[in-house]
Amino acid sequence: MIQVKGLKKHFGDLEVLKGIDQHIKPGEKVVVIGPSGSGKSTFLRCLNLLEVPTEGEILIEGESITAPKTNVNKIREKMGMVFQQFNLFPHLTVLDNITLAPVKVKKMPKADAEKLARELLEKVGLADKAESYPAQLSGGQQQRIAIARALAMQPDIMLFDEPTSALDPEMVGEVLNVMKDLANAGMTMVVVTHEMGFAREVGSRVLFMDGGYVVEEGTPDEVFNNPQNARTKEFLSKIL
Amino acid sequence: MPEWLVNLLDRLNSTFIVDGRWQWFVSGLGYTLLITLFAVILGFVIGVLMALMRLSKSKILKAISGTYIDVIRGTPTMVQLLIINYIIFASANIPAWIVGSIAFGINSGAYIAEIVRGGILSVNIGQTEAGRSLGMTPKQTMISIVMPQAMKNILPALGNEFVVLIKETAVVGMVSNIDLVGAARKVQSLTYDYLIPLLSIAVIYYVVIKIISTFLSKLEKGMRKADKR
Repeated sequence: MIQVKGLKKHFGDLEVLKGIDQHIKPGEKVVVIGPSGSGKSTFLRCLNLLEVPTEGEILIEGESITAPKTNVNKIREKMGMVFQQFNLFPHLTVLDNITLAPVKVKKMPKADAEKLARELLEKVGLADKAESYPAQLSGGQQQRIAIARALAMQPDIMLFDEPTSALDPEMVGEVLNVMKDLANAGMTMVVVTHEMGFAREVGSRVLFMDGGYVVEEGTPDEVFNNPQNARTKEFLSKIL
Repeated sequence: MPEWLVNLLDRLNSTFIVDGRWQWFVSGLGYTLLITLFAVILGFVIGVLMALMRLSKSKILKAISGTYIDVIRGTPTMVQLLIINYIIFASANIPAWIVGSIAFGINSGAYIAEIVRGGILSVNIGQTEAGRSLGMTPKQTMISIVMPQAMKNILPALGNEFVVLIKETAVVGMVSNIDLVGAARKVQSLTYDYLIPLLSIAVIYYVVIKIISTFLSKLEKGMRKADKR
């Protein structure tokens, strides 16, 4: 579903990704962990071209997205993204946040989009907040809305960029639960997170990144209980 | 009645009452406001265009808007007005207030461009990323997501520009006599009295600007309150 070949990314002289090869299959839940500055977020952002790779190739459902003539917008329709800072649109109601892209991009009739939005709000447990504005909601609620907004485009893949890092501790659970439901429903997911419990429980594969490389990967059991790489061991010993 | 009072009343009479000259001031004020309003509207259109060009990736568009802003801000308004009136529209038979509106629209476009650019840049980059990640084009993202938020920062500054322009447009009086300054000059040429007409338009300018800026700052406060909903 996602193939990454020799992915490199430079910011000026700074080499953030130094060559990544990955193959993510349909239905996989890939959890990316690692110290800050290891390139996790950059890797994720390269997958939907929010960062343009310096080198290498990325194929989404067999289509190269790094080729010069690719329609980036079409690719992004298939990939939902959830941000650390939620990035809800503050000038729009919750309902309009969710219906904006389906109506503008997919030309979905407004009534259908609203019906879909209300279903999604139900799913994330916020059906009563449709008419609210983002500023009236807690961080956890905002992030659940952000997930609903991404799902409204009916993507095949969901990308999560540290979705719980900006939340107060008591709100982390509600967001992770929504993500778990999504995982159980069979969504292909790539999640950058510091939530090791989530990685263990939901991840079908864990990537440990450090210094711009994926230095270790395997099932959660392999990576957490029997890490092979010295840096993985060191990282896990610090946070577990 | 003391003599000075008689004198003053006489001068007020010849400035405002004789031949219904007060109507010149009323219509002058009307034209001043009309020119200002059209200049701000035209300036806003030019300003948005120039700001978007300046923020675009195209080097050519960037150079065009950069040059425009640089030249307009680097030359006196008065000179721009004279060039537009006596050179560009020299042979065309266009009403003076339209010439004034165009001249000041072009002028304020350069200043409004910077206001708009600042407004757009003040919107968090995450908003653009969220829009783009949903498959929206740069144009859709700009129109539906960034611009509405930028307007909150742009509108107060635009109101300010309106007030500034009311004063600036006084130089229109140098090329025609339709505005407030023009009204004062028409009276002067008949009565040879400079003091009363000039003081009068100073008072009119002051009062009008006071009213408009008080109204604008009330509006801005209301907007900020609505923000906190």
